Amino acid sequence: MEELGIQILKSAVSGLIMGLVFALVALGLTVIFGVMDIVNFAHGEFLMVGMYTTLLTSPLLGVDPVLTLPLAGLVGAVLGVMCYFGLIRFLLRGPMIAQLFGTFGLMIFLRNLALLFMGSEPRIIHEGWLVGKSILVGPGVVLESTKVAAAALSLISFAVVWWFINRTRVGKAITATSLDAEGARYMGISTEYMNALAWAVGGASVGVAGGLLVNFWPVEPGVGLLFTMIAFATVALGGFGSVRGALVAGILIGFIVNLPPVWDAILRSIDAAGLRGMEIHSFKYTMVYAVYFLIMVLRPQGLFGWKQ
Amino acid sequence: MEAVKNAFDFGDMPRSELWLAALALAFLLWFPAMPHSSFGMATMIQFLMFSLYGMGWNLIGGYGGQVDLGKAQYVGIGAYTTAVMMIRWDVPFWFSMPVGMALAVGWSFIIGYPLFRLKGHYFAIATIATSLVLKDLFEVWNFVGGARGLEIPMKGDMPNWLYLQFREDYYYYYVILGMLLVGLIYMNGFRHSRLGYQLRAIKDNEHVARSLGIDVHWSKIKAYAMATAYVAMVGSFHACYNFNIEPEDTMSLDLSVLIAMMAMLGGAGSMWGPIIGAAILVPMKNYLGSWLGGQAGFAGMDLAMYGLIIMIIAAAQPRGVYGIVEAMRARRR
Repeated sequence: MEELGIQILKSAVSGLIMGLVFALVALGLTVIFGVMDIVNFAHGEFLMVGMYTTLLTSPLLGVDPVLTLPLAGLVGAVLGVMCYFGLIRFLLRGPMIAQLFGTFGLMIFLRNLALLFMGSEPRIIHEGWLVGKSILVGPGVVLESTKVAAAALSLISFAVVWWFINRTRVGKAITATSLDAEGARYMGISTEYMNALAWAVGGASVGVAGGLLVNFWPVEPGVGLLFTMIAFATVALGGFGSVRGALVAGILIGFIVNLPPVWDAILRSIDAAGLRGMEIHSFKYTMVYAVYFLIMVLRPQGLFGWKQ
Repeated sequence: MEAVKNAFDFGDMPRSELWLAALALAFLLWFPAMPHSSFGMATMIQFLMFSLYGMGWNLIGGYGGQVDLGKAQYVGIGAYTTAVMMIRWDVPFWFSMPVGMALAVGWSFIIGYPLFRLKGHYFAIATIATSLVLKDLFEVWNFVGGARGLEIPMKGDMPNWLYLQFREDYYYYYVILGMLLVGLIYMNGFRHSRLGYQLRAIKDNEHVARSLGIDVHWSKIKAYAMATAYVAMVGSFHACYNFNIEPEDTMSLDLSVLIAMMAMLGGAGSMWGPIIGAAILVPMKNYLGSWLGGQAGFAGMDLAMYGLIIMIIAAAQPRGVYGIVEAMRARRR
């Protein structure tokens, strides 16, 4: 029974923290979707670029990985703007099918470019202020400080983006563009500029998320897909285009991902012979896909969605 | 009788296209007699397989406009049904293939019903989700061999037509070529069928289609089931041709994407599009992949180039190679 209690506590804390990180990953996707109704399949690959940026620049510049986060954000933003002007602008003229495939092509392109230059072996940051340190929360519940820092910075990033969209003039122009692009154009808002800005904000936030993630998650060229799916599930649950929804849904997804260990602990504690072999820890991320499917079918607009 | 007549009626196609198709067919029939490497033969077989996959995708994705990125799950169902039945109960290929198709179609009805309440991106992502869930389940399911997959044991006597086991590749080649011809004729019938017209109406404008009395939801599900049958059929063939199947190579997202990509590149919503796409991409993938990835040591270069090509196609001509041909034809007129 005691093991079960510890596992529940562990899962709850870890779910909250990983949930905040998932939310930060999903933030960029929901901002871009909200403004221009385009789903970026290459989102996970943007994250991968952010991860590699921190991994490579930190030893190169001789600074701590945490200090390279602004650089990761900048690289993400530049990548986002480049994608917008080089690809997305042309895709918007075509049918929906073209938009899907354009970003899919981008995903394959970025992933294999990374494979070409970085090789396929997983890499992670080994030295840094945060790496290897941990905080003891309760009996048997240990938190790595990298994860705690990532969660805290995720909250800060959310606050910044929320402030930017809701409290600044430019942010209001972005909101206007997402509500009614044509109307915004009549009001003298350059929607082209707003779209590019949304890509910059989306790219920057996911770049920062990558820079944080690489402290405790190995990076390899194929890392993007899992996070793309998690981001899709998060955005679907929170509602496409909703910043607040992404935060709440990210935390919920974090809890869902941490459910299987609890289930396994329950099985172990009651020790029922008939239930042996029903452990589901290997289905950790399968749950995410299933949740995405169920949300889309049962409540397509999500929890806080205003776009269908 | 009407349906059969429609299936063999190619009269609405331009004369030049039919001549080209006849020429291509002559080449395909003659190919095994030409001097070729075993790598070339494997490439041709893959080309034919992907043409059929692409035609299946095209049925719902091209004619119906519903972008499906989860076709690999049906490849997996077809392949696993054949492999499991062959290994456990010694069932011949020609019997297990229809069973696999039926199982895949059944599964497509189960997930198609909720899936088609979604549109556009939502639908596409949801198909990825279902496919990944199924793959994860297969990876831990011991009955089908888990992540290590299954291996079909060789029978002694070759060539074995019942179990589709041959020593020479050209037997496989003619089997899959025959499947392609059947698939083409069926597709031609579908183009002229009531469902075919309904589906194209849905693609152009769903609201108008509904107001004309078309049951949009049901039409999509039916077309999806037909598309599934194509893919599962080739999946069964894949199991016999490769002898060895595992979740990673029959149900991965990469396969789904490749299928959709080929049909898109060739031209979604046209009869020849998927075949053109496969004819371009499969040799490119194999030869570029072995040359750049294997010999020159640039792993990933070939796929990065695909990504670039797909981006350019999507930005410049979303209707693919066939779209370019049609645009040129329209200009000449």
